[in-house]
Amino acid sequence: MSQSWRWKVYLTLFLALLSVYVLVPTFGRFNSLREAAEKTAAPLPWYVKLFPEKELNLGLDLRGGIYLELEVTVDEAINNRLDLMASEIARYLKEEKVEGVQADRIPKTYRIRVLLPNEAAKDKLLSHANDIYRGALVEERGQSELTYKSEEKDEARLQALYNELNTQLSGKAGVVDVERSSGSDLFRVVLKSGASPDEAKALIGSQFPSLKEATEPNKVIFQAVPSYVEKLRSDSVKQAVETIRNRIDRYGVAEPSIRQLGENRVVVELPGVTDPDRAIGIVKKAGKLEFKMVDESKNDEEVKTLVAEIRKEANIPEGFSEEIVNKINEAAKGKIPAEDEILFEIQRDPVTGKVVGGIPYLIKRKSEVTGDMLRAAQVSVQNNEPYVSLSFNAVGTKAFAEVTAANVGKRLAIILDGNVSKAPVIKSAIPSGEAQITLGYGNYDALLKEAEDLTLVLREGALPASLKEITKTVIGPSLGQSAIHQGLMAALIAGLTVVVFMILYYKLSGLIADLVLGLNVLLIMGCLALFQATLTLPGIAGIVLTMAMALDANILIFERIREELKAGKPVKAAVDAGFSNAWTAVVDTHITTFLSGIVLYQFGTGPIRGFAVTLMIGVLTTLFTAYLVTHLIYDYLTVKVKIKKVSI
Amino acid sequence: MQITKKEIPFMKYQGYLLILSLVLTIGSLILLFTHGLDFGIDFKGGIKLQYKFNTAVDSARIQEILEKALNEKVAVQQFGDPKGNMFAFDILKPSQGIEGFSARVTQALESELGAGSTTLVKEEAVGPKAGEELRRKGELAVIVAWILILVYIGYRFDFYFSPGAIVALIHDIIIALGAFAITGREINLTVLAAFLTIIGYSVNDTIIVYDRVRENLKKYKTLSIEELVNKSINETLSRTIVTSLTMFFVVVVLFIKGEGDIQDFAFAMIIGVITGTYSSIFIASPIYIFLKKHGHRFGLSSKQVSHR
Repeated sequence: MSQSWRWKVYLTLFLALLSVYVLVPTFGRFNSLREAAEKTAAPLPWYVKLFPEKELNLGLDLRGGIYLELEVTVDEAINNRLDLMASEIARYLKEEKVEGVQADRIPKTYRIRVLLPNEAAKDKLLSHANDIYRGALVEERGQSELTYKSEEKDEARLQALYNELNTQLSGKAGVVDVERSSGSDLFRVVLKSGASPDEAKALIGSQFPSLKEATEPNKVIFQAVPSYVEKLRSDSVKQAVETIRNRIDRYGVAEPSIRQLGENRVVVELPGVTDPDRAIGIVKKAGKLEFKMVDESKNDEEVKTLVAEIRKEANIPEGFSEEIVNKINEAAKGKIPAEDEILFEIQRDPVTGKVVGGIPYLIKRKSEVTGDMLRAAQVSVQNNEPYVSLSFNAVGTKAFAEVTAANVGKRLAIILDGNVSKAPVIKSAIPSGEAQITLGYGNYDALLKEAEDLTLVLREGALPASLKEITKTVIGPSLGQSAIHQGLMAALIAGLTVVVFMILYYKLSGLIADLVLGLNVLLIMGCLALFQATLTLPGIAGIVLTMAMALDANILIFERIREELKAGKPVKAAVDAGFSNAWTAVVDTHITTFLSGIVLYQFGTGPIRGFAVTLMIGVLTTLFTAYLVTHLIYDYLTVKVKIKKVSI
Repeated sequence: MQITKKEIPFMKYQGYLLILSLVLTIGSLILLFTHGLDFGIDFKGGIKLQYKFNTAVDSARIQEILEKALNEKVAVQQFGDPKGNMFAFDILKPSQGIEGFSARVTQALESELGAGSTTLVKEEAVGPKAGEELRRKGELAVIVAWILILVYIGYRFDFYFSPGAIVALIHDIIIALGAFAITGREINLTVLAAFLTIIGYSVNDTIIVYDRVRENLKKYKTLSIEELVNKSINETLSRTIVTSLTMFFVVVVLFIKGEGDIQDFAFAMIIGVITGTYSSIFIASPIYIFLKKHGHRFGLSSKQVSHR
């Protein structure tokens, strides 16, 4: 027997004890002990402090909870930022006493168009842009859009011409979009960055000879710098992760996991959540908050009729989803001012929460104030009526003061994720940056909860980009319990069958293999707890599979020993030869299993990863137990006890 | 207790079994093309909801209620213990996107059957994009696993051995897929995991035989390659039987005792254990013999067998 046996014994004992140590909190249910102690304010039992704080991580499928994969719509964040810049530019020029300025983001591009009254204003604008937006915006010097004028005066024919232009040109010759405002005879053909205008000019010249190219001398177009766009993109995803995290923390979920996945996805795992709808609502509502003016040029009835007409004409079904609203706006092009869009206030049944209808609003596209200008939001109650009070930061206060001063009597729509939440009338200018949103009348508790949730959303400053559900898994807590029970039962029965079989087939050696197998399972669980890996239902299947594999290693060794014994070798020599001859087969099979484990881990998600992890850990512990521990026991039996016969 | 050892001339039956394998594989392939596979929402995108009802309900009625309320095609299926009143609703590729279905379903069910009559126990929603992604990743995973194993065996043994192992794997996976096509079982993420496990198991089994062949190549220089392989198979036979049977016990127990995902997993594994064991003897070994004899024609080098 080699000298190293002492170390092998110590190492085995150490690992076994370490595993027991890290598993004690799990099996002793220390978390519930802690909770109970917190509730009753009684002191914790003294031994709790001796052990690690964390229990074995159970996957969502075992404890119940929510798994969400969300996509951050980064384009929206960029558009939003450009909108803000456009309004800031307009505001600056107004302060500089330049009248008749129009500054807008150009849809489907990362550009801002500024129409100015004269050449002098242009210099002012460029020097301002150079001061404030260096590294973010550059003046587009090439011809990035073409302007055409029609001699037609009839509105219906102009609209028909516009439709024709749109269908004939979009996607061709580098054309991105064609724009027209209602009542105007100007058409703007927006080109892709870097596209040569000649091709588009030739196409329009041949197909629409009635159109005359026009010049807009005092027009400046800014293009967002690509590196700046990239930064906005990655920032908005990071911010989404952070904001969701904060919000979930406020909501109060134990051990949530929120992380970025790939370029623009966020994974949210909320174990043990009992009210999934509310939790998901909070995560998702974490969307974009904007304040935009309602266009009062049409009254509510007119807007309603218009939307009904559009739905009928374009054959758009009832409903208020993002997709449908986009379709309505696409169809409304030319029928409403180009700087406007149609958004809905969704009406819900106060009891069931079911969508029962939606009020359309004609809204100015430009956001006047955004969620990131909010400093605080809270629920207040006055006269038994809950309301939300808001306060803005310095930038927000200024912007809010301006917009309220200029629009008294008009409505300011609060838009959450593209839906109008409220469109309160601006009763007076609000220079202080302190505002109140009243929620109307209704069930006190429902209003209070609505106010609370809204505040929760407002408080972080809303997310700049909205989120789209990619995948969702909700597992009720009862299912988690029964899954644990079932998984364990299946594992136990499978394990027992195998244990009994081994003893029957290999007698004493089978018993040794079973004991070592027990140690193996202990080590796997210990590793899971130690590395804070997650045990899932497929993970339990992985453990069972590992048990079978560990037995295979033992079977390989035992069959070899039997062969050597049959060949007439003495006990000690047969055992040693058995172990060493089986080695290559055992190692090769385990390495290939490990390889599939790596592949599974790499390509799998959630529960499957749990399976891969237990499989990989299992491969390592099996090699350890079969070759170190089992061999050690046989060494002990053959060298120290000097057995004459192997019970195998 | 031991399995008696009389050398069985496995390679003699090779011809018949080759026909059996061909019939099974071709049959499976035909089934795959005619029946097709039932890819679950994991790979297609859609929603799977599981509800527990307090009292016994009729699945046809529920389907009617749901289809009316949702305006989507709904597949209703009872599962688990028949007294448990557990139902699963599958909505494949809903035209309205995947959001907010459970609330509508709960509401529709409660308005028909009474408030509190049912509880949502599990909800899975996979967007069409994510489903496609998972499917692509799954296929990639299987292929990557194949390549890794091919390379590993080529490295540890030599390239006379690898093709046999890979063909055996493909054989096993095709038959397993055929079993899923004929039983109409759903292919989901768990089943994919099972397939990867089958790959692992099948290759394990093949390696055990190969390992013995590698060893015997050194020992018996005079035996013909058929005799040598046959001897190796026989020498490892007791291990093969014992291991396969234990594996078989384990997965059968999981199949009987498990529900849902675990059962799907176990079903795939049962097929995999049978084909995996069979294919290492009757697919991988004959291919090795064939390549060893005729390999030089395909440009395989007669490199010395490595004995690492």
